[in-house]
Amino acid sequence: MKKLNFTLLLTILLIITSCSDDDDLVLAKGDYENGYFISNQGPFQNGSGAITFVGDDGNVEQNIYKKVNGEDLGNIVQSMTLAGDNAYIIVNNSNNVTVANRYTMEKITIIEGDDIKLPRFMVTNGDKGYVSNWGDPLNPDDDFVAVIDLNSNTVTNKIPVGEGPEEMLIKGSNLYVNLKGGWSVNDQVVMIDLAAETVEGAITVGDAPDSIVEDVNGDIWVLCSGETWPGETAGTLYRISSSLAKITYDFQTSEHPTDLNFYDGNLYYALNGSVYKMIAGASELPSESIQGISGFFSAMKVYNGELYATDAKDYVSEGELKIYDLASGTLTETIPTGIVPGDIVFQD
Amino acid sequence: MKHFILISFFFFNLAGFSQIDSLNTLDEVVLYGKFSPELNTGYQVEYISDSILKKQNLSLGNFLENYRNFYFKQNGNGMVSSISLRGTGASQTGVYWNGIAINSSLNGQTDFNTIPVNGFDALEIRRGGGSTLLGSGAIGGAINLSDKITFQNKKSLFLQSNIGSFESFNGSISGVLSSQNYFAKVFLSALSSENDYPYLDTDIKNENGEIKNYSIQSVLGWKINGDNQLEFYSSFVDNDRNTSRTITAMSNAKLLNRNNRYLLAWKNFGEKYNSVLKLAYLGEKYTYSFSKDLDASSVNESESFIGKYNFTYLINSAINLSAGLEYTHAIGEGNNLTKVKQDDAEAYVLLHHKISSKFIYNLSARKGVSSAYDIPLIYAADINYRISDRIDLKANYSTNFRLPTFNDLYWEPGGNPDLEPENSRSAEIGLNFKKNDFKIDATTYLIKSKDQIQWIPLSGDIWKPQNINSTESFGMELSAEEKLEFGNHQLQLHAQYNYAISKNKENNKQLIYVPKHKANANLFYQIKKLSVKYNLQHIGSVYTTTSNSQNLDAYWLSNFGADYKFLNNDLQIGVQINNLFNENYQSVAYRPMPGRNFNININYKID
Repeated sequence: MKKLNFTLLLTILLIITSCSDDDDLVLAKGDYENGYFISNQGPFQNGSGAITFVGDDGNVEQNIYKKVNGEDLGNIVQSMTLAGDNAYIIVNNSNNVTVANRYTMEKITIIEGDDIKLPRFMVTNGDKGYVSNWGDPLNPDDDFVAVIDLNSNTVTNKIPVGEGPEEMLIKGSNLYVNLKGGWSVNDQVVMIDLAAETVEGAITVGDAPDSIVEDVNGDIWVLCSGETWPGETAGTLYRISSSLAKITYDFQTSEHPTDLNFYDGNLYYALNGSVYKMIAGASELPSESIQGISGFFSAMKVYNGELYATDAKDYVSEGELKIYDLASGTLTETIPTGIVPGDIVFQD
Repeated sequence: MKHFILISFFFFNLAGFSQIDSLNTLDEVVLYGKFSPELNTGYQVEYISDSILKKQNLSLGNFLENYRNFYFKQNGNGMVSSISLRGTGASQTGVYWNGIAINSSLNGQTDFNTIPVNGFDALEIRRGGGSTLLGSGAIGGAINLSDKITFQNKKSLFLQSNIGSFESFNGSISGVLSSQNYFAKVFLSALSSENDYPYLDTDIKNENGEIKNYSIQSVLGWKINGDNQLEFYSSFVDNDRNTSRTITAMSNAKLLNRNNRYLLAWKNFGEKYNSVLKLAYLGEKYTYSFSKDLDASSVNESESFIGKYNFTYLINSAINLSAGLEYTHAIGEGNNLTKVKQDDAEAYVLLHHKISSKFIYNLSARKGVSSAYDIPLIYAADINYRISDRIDLKANYSTNFRLPTFNDLYWEPGGNPDLEPENSRSAEIGLNFKKNDFKIDATTYLIKSKDQIQWIPLSGDIWKPQNINSTESFGMELSAEEKLEFGNHQLQLHAQYNYAISKNKENNKQLIYVPKHKANANLFYQIKKLSVKYNLQHIGSVYTTTSNSQNLDAYWLSNFGADYKFLNNDLQIGVQINNLFNENYQSVAYRPMPGRNFNININYKID
């Protein structure tokens, strides 16, 4: 008996020793540490969205969540947000936020129930995450932002907002939420006090505020797509200063821009199959698009001097990610994605 | 004519019209109209009689899938069911109600799960291109739901009821009262099902899958004199379904569709001619609610006023000439259609010529004008050559079109009023062999379609239809049938196999939801008052992405049934086991179909 115990202790000691040796070598956190992700909505009516991983080594791996966990993510994977060690995958039509380890893609939990209803996007601040939810798209009075405790991965509060909350931005002590309108059209950006978790006020902008970014000067830029149906209104771009003073840039009535990005002093957006660049602070909208870049993109991100844009093709087959060099406008890489690529997510 | 009506059909003994020596009389042309074997000698035409149809509790789609080897894409059990015949799309098969085209003016399709098959006296099935006679959309083939008027002294009542798994109830009454000069028929049917079957190998069931369907049909006939008769047909169908969840997402949506149809026909027969005038009204309304508890998200409806006239002149015993004029005024309105109107007029001619007892051909052409687009000139030729007493050779070539629908042209947002009709050419050749009750049919076909309408994304939000797709379908259809009798025993076997390659010419990939292989076999055995039937189906793998990167698995399905007759054969009680081997299968991805389920049916006939 005694001898056995000794052997056991020795074994444990050896294990501990070898473990600490490994630690010195810096353990890889998982297969998906070095690279970026593309979330794919998947087929519209019936099917599952999927996550594509593009490694820094050039390897592309499709459908990684299902590969690791053996189960589908759900219908219409709208977007994905990384925070801490976790990936928060927003599954719109399946009404859930799937939480997985960002490095291994192993499922941690699924946040669902009455507190998540047609979720759209998520932003995080410290230990909290904020998920915009449409509720029933026909009911203008049940839209909300769900507050998630990132430690317990549970919904701790629901902040009611107007119709169709979409993309969000955290700046200072406030959360700014674009109210795009969901199935109808809205024209507000609501300000939520992060500490009180209550709506502090709203800024009226153009119809269908699509994307929201902050520039280096701390000004907020809101790109509104304008209404496309049943009426038609022009797109607009708003610059909102800290004092909430607004400067408006008007597009033509038939112009419905999307996907505003801020990078290195410039704004970028997509319009009519082209991509435009504008110095943040210029007095007028640019008249010329970036040469060499064309296509109707389902998502577009500017990152490290390159433009990452996804082409959903016919929406019933795999799409593509196209990477353009912004300086020259040349296409440098084309990467296969899943069906209807909808969000591009970088590690930092 | 009686030749056809009097054939006593057993369960699967469906008569294929392979004989060309059938009586060449005007009666036949009148009764079968454009689906007459005489006018379609070079086509595979089948006639399924009421003795088979009236005992069914199946939808038109399930009936054709089980017994005629058609392929349907079903969004779950009882949900929207669309056809793909000969590798073509859902709006490229024409569906007719007593000769009036009833594919939706809104989406160009028929939902084959909304039509109960037992209310009709006959199904006429014609495979292959047939736009010259039948108009828009008869590319893969055409199916006519037919009510038959017969002037003879008769009183009959037929009752049917079914109880099945998943709280499914279905009942119908059909009554006929007729004399030498008058005919009246009424058919009432109601169906409801909780349809909450479990999804096999999961913890979930088919939530939000409830179905209700009511229909009322009536037929009136008046033989004014030996040369004239008036006919009136009406049909009302109300179909109320919640739309099933998928494996990955719950649904709270609901789809209501309602159809009203009225048809008045005046038939006049002369010594050398016949003349048929038809006036019809078709009304349809679709109501879709994303959340069934809230107001409808989308309500769209259409009305069509149709006038058709056909005149057939018998030049001599070998040649007859037909000409027709068809006019449609259609109105569409709803949340996605600002009041739109359209007028189409089309005319056609057909020459039928029997050169000898061995050789018959038909030639036809059609041209139209429309307020919305240019209707092309199309033409067709078909022949039947009797090689021997047992073998017929059939061949045809046709050009066909499919007109854009209201949704294609005017849907808000995205509809494209500049669309033109789709154009298609098709050819086929087939052999029909018959020896007593043993039959083998083999047909091969080629269909080339261009300018096909496809909705494509202009941006993420707005999709617009364009005349851009070109497809090519090639395939084969094989059918073998045998009937054996020894003493009290009767055995029938019918097996069919379809091979379909249907490709988008741009990327040379198989079209999604078109199986390359589809086969079925039906076995029927009867001894005295007991009959047993076994239906086996194989549905080949289908692609679910246009790049052919993903597919649904092929599957085998078995259905088994037994019936016993009582009370001088007036009462029949049967049991049916569907999906006998509890196969877990999907017709559409992520929408499982039911596992093994049961059904008890009672049929009662009062003469």
